[in-house]
Amino acid sequence: MADKKPHDEHSHEEEMRKKHLMLDPLPRGKMNEMVMEAMLEKPTWKFWVVFLVLSFIVAYCLFYKWYVLITKGQGEAGVMRPDYWGIFLVNTVFWIGISHAGTFISAILRVFKAEFRRPFTRIAELMTTFGLVQAGFSVLMHMGRTWLFYWLIPYPNQRMLWPNLHSPLTWDLLAITTYLLSSTMYLFLPLIPDVAMARDRSTGWRKKFYRVLALGFRGTEGEWRHLHNAMNIFAFAIIPVMFSVHTIVSWDFAAATRPGWSSTIYGPYFIVGALHSGMGAAAVVLAVVQGTMKNMKYFVRGEHFDAIGKLMLIISMSWAYFYFNDYIVQWYGGDKWTRIMLHFHEAGPLGWMWFTMLIVNIAIPWAVLWNAKWRSNPWIISVVGIGINVGMWFERYLIVPVSVAINRMPFTWRLYQPGIEVPMGIGTLALFILLYMMASKLIPFIPVWEVQEGQLAHEFKKFGRETVVSVSELE
Amino acid sequence: MIRPDEVKMSVEETGKWGMTINQDVCTGCQACVAACAMENNISFVGEEDSGYGRSMHWIRIERFWEGEYPDVRMTPQQPMMCQQCGHATCEPVCPAFATVHSQAEQLNLQVYNRCVGTRYCANNCPYQVRAFNWRDYQRPEPLSNQLNPDVTVRRMGVMEKCTFCIQRIHRAQDTAKSEGREVMDGEFTTACAQACPADAIVFGRVDKPETLVAQITNNGRGTKHLAELGTLPHVTYFKEG
Amino acid sequence: MTETKQKEVDLLALFSDVAPAADAVEQLRLVGVRDDEINVLSGVPVTGAMLGREPHPTNVPKIAMGGAILGFLTGAFLTFVTPYWYPYPIRVSTQAYVPAPPTVIVLFEITMLGMLLSTFVGVFMDSFFPNYRPMKYVPEISDGKIAVFVECESGDQNKIIDLLKKLGAESVKPAEAQHL
Repeated sequence: MADKKPHDEHSHEEEMRKKHLMLDPLPRGKMNEMVMEAMLEKPTWKFWVVFLVLSFIVAYCLFYKWYVLITKGQGEAGVMRPDYWGIFLVNTVFWIGISHAGTFISAILRVFKAEFRRPFTRIAELMTTFGLVQAGFSVLMHMGRTWLFYWLIPYPNQRMLWPNLHSPLTWDLLAITTYLLSSTMYLFLPLIPDVAMARDRSTGWRKKFYRVLALGFRGTEGEWRHLHNAMNIFAFAIIPVMFSVHTIVSWDFAAATRPGWSSTIYGPYFIVGALHSGMGAAAVVLAVVQGTMKNMKYFVRGEHFDAIGKLMLIISMSWAYFYFNDYIVQWYGGDKWTRIMLHFHEAGPLGWMWFTMLIVNIAIPWAVLWNAKWRSNPWIISVVGIGINVGMWFERYLIVPVSVAINRMPFTWRLYQPGIEVPMGIGTLALFILLYMMASKLIPFIPVWEVQEGQLAHEFKKFGRETVVSVSELE
Repeated sequence: MIRPDEVKMSVEETGKWGMTINQDVCTGCQACVAACAMENNISFVGEEDSGYGRSMHWIRIERFWEGEYPDVRMTPQQPMMCQQCGHATCEPVCPAFATVHSQAEQLNLQVYNRCVGTRYCANNCPYQVRAFNWRDYQRPEPLSNQLNPDVTVRRMGVMEKCTFCIQRIHRAQDTAKSEGREVMDGEFTTACAQACPADAIVFGRVDKPETLVAQITNNGRGTKHLAELGTLPHVTYFKEG
Repeated sequence: MTETKQKEVDLLALFSDVAPAADAVEQLRLVGVRDDEINVLSGVPVTGAMLGREPHPTNVPKIAMGGAILGFLTGAFLTFVTPYWYPYPIRVSTQAYVPAPPTVIVLFEITMLGMLLSTFVGVFMDSFFPNYRPMKYVPEISDGKIAVFVECESGDQNKIIDLLKKLGAESVKPAEAQHL
């Protein structure tokens, strides 16, 4: 009788342990060691090759080309009448979009206490800060007189003239500055206990570096309380800031007098679009971290890709909903210019881009991500994630230079041919990856204390015959 | 179509300086384009940039064809320049206050040295009449001797556009003031109107009913471009009448 | 306090779990150690409630609120004052000098910026960051151990060491300030 169990409890528990990081606790010392190892691991020759290639791309495509752009003028880029806005702004919107996933994961999931977030909040939050750096660069590249960018900062000129607060670009400046500062602070606060941990187990210049970064953190009750309070305030407050940032970016377009742009749904549509590309990018970054860094297979597991995959699927559906919503109202309005513009999207010279966008943003995620096994696979989810990012870049390309090709003055219609923007855009991508590579060697990628906090709070509980997991709050 | 005599209008709507363009007599000779470029120190962008849509003209002649070959008909020539909107979409979007509304002259000003080159104004102009300095364009000798000393020379990275020859307006106002009188109708005109051999362009005070431009504007046959957007343009077009 | 002053010592007891640390805090209180003479250090957040102590007071929310008010005032200054500072206010399109909807945006952004900046600064102020002086600390804390620091007079030292050991402390020794 004893060997006729309907369900083997022991193996069931084992299985759940294998699946969920929160149920598979290791001693804190061991986890610290693993994270330190991943960080201190001697870079392989492959790392150096990638590092050098990316450094070269950044030096040449970003900085040298930028020098050329500044000295020779915006004529080096593909912008002209009527495409006064080109790839630089496509990239700005794209990078701000990427940055939204970091906040989504580390703030919204923290507020709603989604436990799967714990190991990768920092990896995602780094995406916010590094992505915003690229967005800032892209918008500076776009300016005709970049060297005067500080004129937009709210301070008066010698005749007490302040910046124009009527302009969506001024709102943008305020919103992006707020977002960049607050997301960097929000990255730093949970990092303090981890750099304190790194300080306790490193020597040489690293010891000095972490000592300075850890600010003298010891882990007293007071320090934890202040930190916890501050992180709570940040988690709640940064969400509306994040929404406002991409809404204001969308208003740059929606507030303009342009066929196709004057859309009241652009705000939420852009936010969902931002999350769409951001989640895709988060999956890719997570897969790279898991695949290339030591000991990361313990911290980043199938369950995390599974969770991100579910989010990607939901966001893909919401994006499709908003896109259709925007499209049908524009189409139904029957405005002559809007109709021409919409037709230009699908049947114009860049129709392939429009169809690719729909396929990689909607069809492929829907076809793949419903399957738990597929979406738990880092390779599959990365391919879907890269596809979504390409698709979202195409979407922004269609919104910016392709849509402005059609305006109410048919005499000026002309399609945009990108120039120096292409290498410079590649330069921002290279810088983004390079910053990640440097960060992986300098700061602990896994918030060990948060993982341990989660592991302490989870335990198995018998519920009738079934073993379930009880989640309790530590505080 | 706005019929100015039918509704009571605000000062933004009527404007102060206005222009009428008779497309039926316009021959498309481009004299206005050349005169404007000379008067306002407009750079020569060269063949390549011009071919790529970077021609820097404050006034352009638009031509269209109707119908399919061989049954093609050309529509009347359409000179297009800044409409000096009373409710200008370009103005509020500039973060640096580089394009602002002159309440004294009811014109749309562009302040070159405040421009940082975001190009939002040009993007937001439904008439697409703003010109951007994509590069520092060369002005080979002896063309530099031709520069108009009354007009600033613009450099790379700033936006520019038709000013209704504001330097001529100011000169006429200064002359009139020193002689203790009002500016008279027809005392001066813009470079494009002056150069037009067919007198298709008439310029003057639209807010004074006795002027020629006001009488033409108010004759009820004119149209304003994209008036449906509520931009309150101050240039009135006449054609096929 | 008529007795001659005895030398204060700082004892450091390491526990591997919260429960014995909480017991130790309770027992120490019973033998007359005041709450402010006990300090608990840990590698994961250990709250006052877990230790049966009053939660540590924090000013971070108040500082955040203060920052939000300051931010709001800055935003109000930007939107309501600066447009009139130029010798003649600038008209753009037919919009008012102080247009309502953009004002809402600017007020929101600057309020949030003020609040978040001051929250960050609040952590620094409340925790006395940055602080690079020598401090009493052992690296085991970041390995998950819970350290209980007890200030006591040197006469009581042995008594308290015994008590802590009995309650499951892994080690009890006088704490020394060191560069972290």
